[in-house]
Amino acid sequence: MSMTQELLKARTSLENNLRELLGIPVFLIEMDAFALPCGCGGVTINTRGLQLDDLEIFEEHILKYLTDTVTSLEIEPSFLFARLIPGTAEVASINARILCSSCYMDFGRGSGKQPRPDIYIMRFDRRE
Amino acid sequence: MKLYVPHVGHFEGLEELLNGSDNIYAVYMAGSPDYIGTGRTNLSAPKLDEIAEQTEYAHSKGVKMEVVLNSSCMGGQQLTPEGYRAIDWYFDKLNTIGIDSITVADPYIVEMLAKDYDMDVVVSVLSFVDTPQKAEFYEQLGATTIVVDPAVNRHFDKLEAIRDTVSCKLKLLVNEACLYQCPFRYAHFNFFSHANGPGPKPNVLDDYYYYKCLSLRIKDPQQIIKSPWIRPEDLKEYKHITDTFKIGGRTHFVNWILNNVEAYANERYDGNLMDLLDSIKDLKDTFYIPNSELDGAIEQWKKCDKVCHKCGYCKRLAEKAIYTYSGSGDDIRKIPLGPVGDRK
Repeated sequence: MSMTQELLKARTSLENNLRELLGIPVFLIEMDAFALPCGCGGVTINTRGLQLDDLEIFEEHILKYLTDTVTSLEIEPSFLFARLIPGTAEVASINARILCSSCYMDFGRGSGKQPRPDIYIMRFDRRE
Repeated sequence: MKLYVPHVGHFEGLEELLNGSDNIYAVYMAGSPDYIGTGRTNLSAPKLDEIAEQTEYAHSKGVKMEVVLNSSCMGGQQLTPEGYRAIDWYFDKLNTIGIDSITVADPYIVEMLAKDYDMDVVVSVLSFVDTPQKAEFYEQLGATTIVVDPAVNRHFDKLEAIRDTVSCKLKLLVNEACLYQCPFRYAHFNFFSHANGPGPKPNVLDDYYYYKCLSLRIKDPQQIIKSPWIRPEDLKEYKHITDTFKIGGRTHFVNWILNNVEAYANERYDGNLMDLLDSIKDLKDTFYIPNSELDGAIEQWKKCDKVCHKCGYCKRLAEKAIYTYSGSGDDIRKIPLGPVGDRK
């Protein structure tokens, strides 16, 4: 399968899983693979209708779905997080990012699930 | 029937639009954001020479040209000497070009236009005229036409009262599809006005209001039914109010606009109602609402007193008429919504 076909399949599958889990037609409006100049890469999934409460209550399930999704795209699920609209419960996107060494240090210095008002960490594998 | 139709703002788009339909009475487009700005997102910021060229072309086709400068907030700049001079200069240029009408939202600009220029003064939906009293005030300020706040599109008593109170023309926006009684309405349009007006422009992270607006519908799809859009088939119920209707959608492709024009001109649409709605286009790939399923709903809305928790009609209609799309591409299925789970 081509990369775009993989992304299409992954988007649909994750959307269906989230809808079934949450009981509302959560909408994954766009799924993008990204590569940054710093060396980070990964996938970002823009969401509509997903809220912080959903993440907190169903985190175990959502984390599993997201891990399965990114693993199917051959992305290491070492850093999985949601981007929030600061000060609100709205989830703008859920993301898997393979951190470069510089960005790893930025996140590694922080602690807790919300190192910034717009970040909610679901999984962060610390390096040796 | 007079249809006012959105135009994205470039000459090629106008050619395509006017060659695509004979049912267009007037087109409207945004002007330059450097003077007043507009309360909606825009795809273009045409310069005066481009507006002049497009106006000449529209007139050659027998179509009127309206420029929309309906910023709901200018941060007080309009009341400064520099602000007044800039706006007055711009109006003078538009007047010279031969613009037929200008849509504005600020009462001060309404009076300024009416006093000094011959162009028709159109009061925008962003003036939120939803009562006969407000309509009367705007008429006294010099309004030639009032675009009634769509929030009262299904309040026929108010529409009739407005019609009976003023002698200026009325226009109804048919497909805006904002939330009924939207709590974000003022804040969102003020944000747009700054984002699409003279600087300094806000460097925002995300459009919170839009995210929230979509979330509310995803969690509670009956909100889509409650939005005060007017179906093409239901235009006949409004013709005792006005013969002038406005289609929203300045940020859409021309084929989307033409699809709307044909639907409203023919007063009929066979397909997904979501195809016609402007402000929630992102949900077009989430919800499927066969327009025919909504036949007759207007009879309920004509007598509806908008006490939703007692009535439940829109909730039941949503359960019956709304489907969600599942899958993507060739493998897409429509799943009935079924009972609406209110997760509030």
